[in-house]
Amino acid sequence: MKSLSKKMLAGTAVAAAMLAGSAGALVAQEKPVIATVVKISGIPWFDRMNTGVDAFAEANPDVDASQSGPATADSAQQLQIIQDLVAKGVNALAVVPMDPAVLEGTFKRAMERGIVVVTHEADNQTNTHADVEAFDNSDYGAALNERLAECMGKEGKWTTFVGSLGSRTHMQWVGAGEENAKKYLGMELVDPNNESFDDANGTYEKAKEILRKHPDIKGFQTSAGNDVLGVGRAIDEAGLTGKVCLVGTGLPNPSADLLESGAITAIGFWDPQKAGMAMNAVAKLLLEKKEVTNGMDLGVEGYNKVTVKKGAGEGVLIVGNGMVLADKATYKEHLF
Amino acid sequence: MQKTGGQLVMLVAINCVLLVLGAVISGGSFLSLFNLQSMASQLPEIGLLAIGVMLAMCAGNGGIDLSGIALANLSGVLSAVIVSSFLSSGESDLAFSLAFIGGALAIGLSGGVINGLLISKLNITPILCTLGTQMAFMGLAVVVSGGKAVMVGSPALLSSIGNDMFLEVPISFLVFVVVAGLVAAALKFTPYGLWLMLMGTNPKAAVYAGFPRNGVLVATYAISGTLSGLAGVIIAARNVNVKFDYGSSYLLIAILIAVMAGVKPEGGYGRVICVVLSAVALQLMSSLLNFGGLSNFVRDFAWGLLLLTFLAVGRYDLTGFLFPGNRQAVSLAPRPHAPKQDN
Repeated sequence: MKSLSKKMLAGTAVAAAMLAGSAGALVAQEKPVIATVVKISGIPWFDRMNTGVDAFAEANPDVDASQSGPATADSAQQLQIIQDLVAKGVNALAVVPMDPAVLEGTFKRAMERGIVVVTHEADNQTNTHADVEAFDNSDYGAALNERLAECMGKEGKWTTFVGSLGSRTHMQWVGAGEENAKKYLGMELVDPNNESFDDANGTYEKAKEILRKHPDIKGFQTSAGNDVLGVGRAIDEAGLTGKVCLVGTGLPNPSADLLESGAITAIGFWDPQKAGMAMNAVAKLLLEKKEVTNGMDLGVEGYNKVTVKKGAGEGVLIVGNGMVLADKATYKEHLF
Repeated sequence: MQKTGGQLVMLVAINCVLLVLGAVISGGSFLSLFNLQSMASQLPEIGLLAIGVMLAMCAGNGGIDLSGIALANLSGVLSAVIVSSFLSSGESDLAFSLAFIGGALAIGLSGGVINGLLISKLNITPILCTLGTQMAFMGLAVVVSGGKAVMVGSPALLSSIGNDMFLEVPISFLVFVVVAGLVAAALKFTPYGLWLMLMGTNPKAAVYAGFPRNGVLVATYAISGTLSGLAGVIIAARNVNVKFDYGSSYLLIAILIAVMAGVKPEGGYGRVICVVLSAVALQLMSSLLNFGGLSNFVRDFAWGLLLLTFLAVGRYDLTGFLFPGNRQAVSLAPRPHAPKQDN
């Protein structure tokens, strides 16, 4: 048993040394470090963002950009990573907060230490130098509705779905959609703001009910990521593909089948890859002590002419035009 | 109790190895004052919860406290809601802080007493009872906060607990060390400590020997609950905001820390110093991996490896090999031992 313990100890030491070696290679550099921290690692959305961060690192050899994130969806774990990065002494943080409120204290301390803080999907974050948003929420809602109106021939009954009535962005999207539909006198909104709770099955049931109640309905505008899947399935099963239009937020990969069959007219989304690049681009500008100005080109597709507003705190809110509307013909360019 | 010494030595060794490794990887910046302070201030939340789990495990009969982090969040959320309804943190800094801390501790204590009463009086299995109360506590926190983060703000006293240093040591860490010391002293020097360990070793014998079983159980879970309340205070002090789902991963980490510290899951044995060192080891390791820029999935792997190493240490007496002279012939502990080897 003695020799076994010795072997075990030796094995542990070797493993530790190897770990140290590989990690050591990653740390040894003098360039300014931009650390991107996402809500959770290993899910498609943030894997896609990682490709953006890698692309940025490749295009900008004068900075060291990389992405990390917690293995579990827990704001405490994300907080811990950020604190360690602050202690390690990175030059800039580009964070997609799990929960903006939890990170306020740490961001404040990081900024006091001279670290540049850039956030995304957190327009209510007070302690940040800049928050980058992919698009203006009302523009996005209006664009979705415009696509829907085009498909419906600008007339007929239509309805809307939101994740929940408390979801601020979803309500902004459908609100802007309703506003846009007022342009067309033939469009009639029925039973608006159905709650889907981002559950494809629940949405499916509710969409079936609506199809029964309004046999002449011609359009759906949905908000949460899984809504298009539920409504699309209901349309598909009712044999109404091509007769009922469906435009909503969704991701290309899961929606591919329904886009192909035509049950989904078009999906809208923003590309996390571009958002990752834009965050890093802003962080780099701020590291170089340059200012982000209205109408500036960040050098990232969809962020060529950004709008700069005052943010929730001292920092600025940078809004791009990164929305993507994809249909059967174009979704293959954005497979993720 | 030779085995206890082994665990302690092993934990100290692991911590030293991790510190040296960190220094080598980072070219010294891992040992910079700022990083040491940063790590020390991250530690108390999870450390306090782990001590709570340890006490519950020591009580035996399948004792465990799954409600720790939920109760910590509830303490923070409920106390913040109640206190800010009659005081504003802007006007009366000190009063707000004291009321918040008092409220959170009281809520933690009552949550713990509820656990203790359910387990001792109604004889509910601890794992089921605390699973139930965990959900109840979390649900209550959702209801009172409406599911949103509750702002505590940073009144002077709270903010200094969360951010300031005393002699270059974070105050939250000092609080943790003092509390850990108090619990350790209570276990070592009071009848409660003896009752707890003996009851955990053999619950039936403890009842026949006339131990105040219910009292000990209620006290154990009450202490665990109060520690959760304190963790809630520290979370609020550091993050400025409290939310019902903060730290959902802490539940399993706290159990991992306790098991790594050699606390016997079947009851009757556990040392606070080992829990503290084991929490430090996990903290060092996760910070180390963040410093190295390695994936957080590697961290989970490394923790698992560490846990298995410790279980192996428990099975094969590694310290005998490390320190051949330092062994006793007999063990007083009334429990089966790993096979011994000769030197």
